[in-house]
Amino acid sequence: MTINKTLNENKLTVGIGGRLDTVTAPELEKELNDSLEGITDLVLDISELDYISSAGLRVLLSAQKTMNKQGSMTVTGANEAIMEIFDVTGFVDLLNIQ
Amino acid sequence: MSMIKIEHLRKEYPNVTPLKDVCVEINKGDVISVIGPSGTGKSTLLRCLNQLEEPTSGTVTIDGQVITDPKCNISLVRRKMGMVFQSFNLFSNLNIIENVMSAPVNLLKTPKEQAYKEGMELLKRVGLAEKAENYPDELSGGQKQRVAIARAIAMHPEIILFDEPTSALDPTMVGEVLSVIRSLAKEGMTMMIVTHEMKFARDVSNRVFYMDEGGIYEDGTPEQIFDNPTKEKTRIFIKRLKLLTLEITSENFDFIGSISQIEQFGRDNMIAPKMLRNLELAFEELLTQNILSESKRSGELLPASVTIEHSETDDTASMSITYGGPSYDPFVNEDDLSVTIVRKLAAEVSHSYDGKNNVTLKFSR
Repeated sequence: MTINKTLNENKLTVGIGGRLDTVTAPELEKELNDSLEGITDLVLDISELDYISSAGLRVLLSAQKTMNKQGSMTVTGANEAIMEIFDVTGFVDLLNIQ
Repeated sequence: MSMIKIEHLRKEYPNVTPLKDVCVEINKGDVISVIGPSGTGKSTLLRCLNQLEEPTSGTVTIDGQVITDPKCNISLVRRKMGMVFQSFNLFSNLNIIENVMSAPVNLLKTPKEQAYKEGMELLKRVGLAEKAENYPDELSGGQKQRVAIARAIAMHPEIILFDEPTSALDPTMVGEVLSVIRSLAKEGMTMMIVTHEMKFARDVSNRVFYMDEGGIYEDGTPEQIFDNPTKEKTRIFIKRLKLLTLEITSENFDFIGSISQIEQFGRDNMIAPKMLRNLELAFEELLTQNILSESKRSGELLPASVTIEHSETDDTASMSITYGGPSYDPFVNEDDLSVTIVRKLAAEVSHSYDGKNNVTLKFSR
């Protein structure tokens, strides 16, 4: 998994690539926990993400919950395979996907 | 009534024993396709029947005559059995009609005129009357094989043995030979055909022998063998199954290594990306997120064994997970995210318990 962060005042863009699974999800979780303080606009760019499992979904959900309290979160660039997982799990309704 | 009875037939060569213990009866009018992987004794079985190979032990009885008895006049018996070889084996110095007439004239002492007349009839049946005066070298492979079939029938055999009759042919010529064999089957000729042409085997025969492990591993109707094989090796062969097995002995198993094995398996077998992704997800969601976390709680479910199968013939895949401990149904918590994902992506999911837990997932395109 690759994580690229770009900070622009209160807006944080996090590019996530590769696999977000049982092994890599804790890494993303830690990365987000450490960076969300003071952020009002979080963009998760997952255009390079190939695979997501429930472990990854839980991290996205937890980030969404945090951002609900302090601003907004947007998920961008999901490919067809990832969109299918968002669909079957109902995450299309939980996340702001663009 | 059985026409051929094979009892405890064994054939050993110095390094290999293709036939260990074959026992089977063949009835008049049977059209039997003999299928199976290479080196499982299919051709050896045919060649032991007409004594082109001498069996190491066992008996073959044809029409009440024990042909494996050294006192038996084998050339008389061989007249009852026509044989068609992969490589045609026509006499290149004789023209086509002479090839067909030769055995009836020399062995059955049929008058030449009658043998010619019958021979021409046979050539008509196989569609080659106009080639009667040609020599084998002037014919295509498919035509040569049709002549070889006419030559076998000319002896009025009780049974014809075909040893991979289309394996040496250009693919464009396979059809013409199969259609001749098909019409013989319709006429009620007893035949035993070693073949790799599965569709043909299914269409033409009333019985199929799947050979493996030194004998007839499974014997059944084409529907039984091709649609519902009961034994494991038959199933693997028929469905052209490719298997990957992963043994999980600890909750801290090598997840990354296992995923890369699944990916490699997918690449090797050209599994579609989406199906491969579903297999990876099923493995992760069900095993690591569900069964292993339950195992951490109870300490009872491991070791687990995961087998992934992919069928080339219908492009389906399945995953079976077997683990120990008391009955634990991983699908029981329907609200669980992992369960939702697996249920939605798999075409079928099931759990059963017979002293071991068995979970099966099926995937189709």
